[in-house]
Amino acid sequence: MNKNDIKLIIIVLLITISLFSLSLFQKKASIANVYYANDLILEIDLSINKTYEVEGDNGKVVIEVLDNQIRVVEENSPYHLCSKQGFISNSGQSIICLPNKIIIELPNNELDTEVS
Amino acid sequence: MKKFTRLSMLLALSVALNVIEASLPLFNGYIPGLKLGLANIVTLFIIYKFNLKDAFYVGILRVFLVGILRTGLFSTTFFFSLSGVLLSIVAMYLSKNLFKLSIIGVSIVGSIAHSTGQVITSILLLQMSSMIYYLPWLLLFSIPTGILVGIICKQLVKFYDEVLSFE
Repeated sequence: MNKNDIKLIIIVLLITISLFSLSLFQKKASIANVYYANDLILEIDLSINKTYEVEGDNGKVVIEVLDNQIRVVEENSPYHLCSKQGFISNSGQSIICLPNKIIIELPNNELDTEVS
Repeated sequence: MKKFTRLSMLLALSVALNVIEASLPLFNGYIPGLKLGLANIVTLFIIYKFNLKDAFYVGILRVFLVGILRTGLFSTTFFFSLSGVLLSIVAMYLSKNLFKLSIIGVSIVGSIAHSTGQVITSILLLQMSSMIYYLPWLLLFSIPTGILVGIICKQLVKFYDEVLSFE
């Protein structure tokens, strides 16, 4: 390792920190849209704690809403990536269950973001 | 002819490393796309001891072979790997020749380029702009994995110079 390597590492760390801080300024989402392939199949209000079930390609996908956060609890796929992803709550984030073709998206809607 | 034998052995090695690392998921797959990048040892080595053209041959053939063996040809993973490999070869070659980086620095650049390539492809291919939020995580982890790969490759280059070149 030489001096330039250290410089490189510092630059990368700075970029990483600035990217992380960008995501801190994310707005909380108030609704979630659930898509199957490209069709909107369900709109979820994130202020109500509830469990939903939708049909994906590999069977049912169980979605849970808790304290304005949303996650996939149960689904059938080889790697279980979308249930491992855990809760999301910021607008612009999404959970993608590719084998099931189910996409949960938190839209960037400015209409009702004023949460008191 | 001797060069072809060596390159084909390196290709086999890179495929083997890719399969081995697929069985060692980091953090249990919580961050999709995060891996050690052991196959990058071979790409980096070829850039140092052979040339850019050979690095492209071996890199592209590796993606096809891994595609046939494991992930499926022309699947989304296949295109992630392909874009990652191509971008990392270009970035490593440029950084080796333009900046005064050691092999470890070049390896970090390769690791970063690989992650960035994959994120860009996933945004274009899957229309998932939210994948951009993975980028800082991948960037952060590309430093330790890049250093690891760089150290291994440094030893490999040393071994090659001392032992194999006197055959």
